[in-house]
Amino acid sequence: MAAVQDTAVAVGTGASSRPAAQSRLARIWASHGAGYMFLLPWLIGFFGLTLGPAIASLYLSFTNFDLIRAPEWIGTANYARIATADPKFAAAVKVTFLYVVLSVPFKLAFALLVAILLDRGVRGLTVYRAIFYLPSLLGGSVAIAVLWRQLFAGDGLINSLLAQFGIEGPSWISHPDYSIWTLVVLSVWQFGSPMIIFLAGLRQVPTDMYEAASLDGASKFRQFYKITLPLLTPVIFFNAVVQTIDAFKAFTPAFIISGGTGGPINSTLFYTLYLYQEAFGNFRMGYASALAWILVLIIGLFTAFSFLTSRYWVHYDD
Amino acid sequence: MTHRISRRNVLAGGAALLSMSALGPAFAQEARLRVLWWGSQARADRTNKVNQLFQEQNAGVAINGEFLGWSDYWPRLATQVAGRNAPDIIQMDYRYIVEYARRGALAPLDDYLGSVLKVEDFDQVQIKGGSVEGKLYGISLGANSAAMMVNAAAFEEAGIELPTPSTTWEEMARMGAEITKAGKRKGFYGLSDGSAVEPLLENWLRQRGKALFTADGKIAYDANDAAEWFAMWQKMREDKACVPPDIQALDQYNVETSPLSLGKAAASFAHSNQFVAYQGINKDKLALRSHPLIDKEAKGGHYRKPSMFFSVSAQTKDPELGAKYVNFFVKDPKAADILGVERGVPESAAVREQLASTLDELGRAMLDYVSGLGALAGDLPPPPPSGAGEAEFALRNVAEQVGFGQLDAKQGGETLVNEVSQILARG
Repeated sequence: MAAVQDTAVAVGTGASSRPAAQSRLARIWASHGAGYMFLLPWLIGFFGLTLGPAIASLYLSFTNFDLIRAPEWIGTANYARIATADPKFAAAVKVTFLYVVLSVPFKLAFALLVAILLDRGVRGLTVYRAIFYLPSLLGGSVAIAVLWRQLFAGDGLINSLLAQFGIEGPSWISHPDYSIWTLVVLSVWQFGSPMIIFLAGLRQVPTDMYEAASLDGASKFRQFYKITLPLLTPVIFFNAVVQTIDAFKAFTPAFIISGGTGGPINSTLFYTLYLYQEAFGNFRMGYASALAWILVLIIGLFTAFSFLTSRYWVHYDD
Repeated sequence: MTHRISRRNVLAGGAALLSMSALGPAFAQEARLRVLWWGSQARADRTNKVNQLFQEQNAGVAINGEFLGWSDYWPRLATQVAGRNAPDIIQMDYRYIVEYARRGALAPLDDYLGSVLKVEDFDQVQIKGGSVEGKLYGISLGANSAAMMVNAAAFEEAGIELPTPSTTWEEMARMGAEITKAGKRKGFYGLSDGSAVEPLLENWLRQRGKALFTADGKIAYDANDAAEWFAMWQKMREDKACVPPDIQALDQYNVETSPLSLGKAAASFAHSNQFVAYQGINKDKLALRSHPLIDKEAKGGHYRKPSMFFSVSAQTKDPELGAKYVNFFVKDPKAADILGVERGVPESAAVREQLASTLDELGRAMLDYVSGLGALAGDLPPPPPSGAGEAEFALRNVAEQVGFGQLDAKQGGETLVNEVSQILARG
């Protein structure tokens, strides 16, 4: 109780407001105290393991730090180098943008397609839903990335299938022209979570709208284009934002499939992979921290841009 | 309530106190050594056995061993050193010893030479290999050299003689093309594409009287050298003497993913101490061969290098105990029996002699290879400068660009020298 009083004094503006502040805090504690206690483990984790290290990395991004010697303050030199003299940064940004631009639309389109098929009253929907969701649970794992290596290698399953048609495929994962596509396919295959959300969205569309439309002679395609899609835009928007952020942060598939190199010829050098190489391969923690903050900035800009444009294409029916 | 202490209680208490104080020194004597190394399960089994042996012979010393794969090892070590939680005994590589020693992470061992560390019968050059700026920071655990792993069975199938120590690159390229042409196996080529293998490039450069790096950490070859190197491999790719670039790009430069182990090529480039591991996962009989020559008279491309060191951490409580452990590891006859040549050919003459009679065929092949290099081996180059790891990445990247036809050999040479120079300048 003493601690609470001390805090109250510190928070209060003067002697006259002290009793009021004290009683308000006491009231908050009485009504929400248990809740905060339950939150405590998460709060400790958030401040100790997320916010603390994030602030430390902001500091480190202005230093030269090799993990062994103490960090040395170098001002904005890391950022200056990233902006002007780092060809690998440019390569990594290019690969990552390509990945985002390719994987997110394909994944969303595929998820929507499957959701629409499932929404047509298939029997055993829950079973299908679970099966289609499965890849999303597995997809981020190392095992699947290893499996992908096998599928798309020179003598992998895909090329064996192609050989049936007399086509001799290259080693997809280790060819600079195709390797990024194997990662895009891997990402699209994990369409489960946007699909579930689309499915929920489709259920929200009032059926009387379709009835009215079909009475007026609108084709199925027209119904989809004029009714389903506009009403679904909030869900599409949500999925697009979440998936875009996810795609920017992708790491595991590229790390496993390229053996940590981002090769061949930097064709799978995801931004996070480059960041990892700088931090744990070359022990440039300061530089890697600066890279991390630039990624935060890029993702932030993208998300802000999405929200700004959303007013022109997202329809909330209110 | 009052406490009445009986005489018996007092006695019992006194006895308990006495016995605790008797335990005291025993607790104080208990010393812990944490040992960290990289390597396979086979290496871990051997190392753990030696640790057990050391504990048995040194009452009151407990050893905690821990091992990781090569690529996970360095981040772990760096974070532990940074967190003031470094292991007492650190397995060290020639590539990193300078960086760690200069940053004050390792304890100099000179004071223990002759007293605790009895390495008089070591090859002096190898001892020097563990020195940085005149102080000794690492004891070599074995010598190895770059080598060619050759699938002897595949050579025989194609009716081609195995390469010899006097085989030139020209002859090797012809052999490779013939094996591919023989077509005894599906999708099988003569050689791996070694254009991105740094020790192989180094060997080739040394035969030309050049090197990878100068003693003061600058690049020691020029764009013409590199262009010629890429052109040589370009020709081998055209003649199908080596695997195509998309097959080579599957190689993560370890035992498991090399074209040899994947069954794509009859020869790959590695280090001699990996021979055991290569033979372990290849069904065909393998042979250990030296690298090809630029011409019949060439020499000095190879060198015997400490495959790895044991270093003692600067943060350890008892560096003398650390030195004692390291000495046990490299000198004790029983330890030598357990360790064999798995970490390379032992440096101690006495240990080598002891092992010579008991080695199996693989171990013998390795020992013979390293000790039989003769004029093919030259001086140990200075330890690689910081940034060398990144330079190796750059070689791989440029070699792939040439392989996939994005650059020609001449452009590749210029790009490589440019990139490596920049990396080394940044440090």
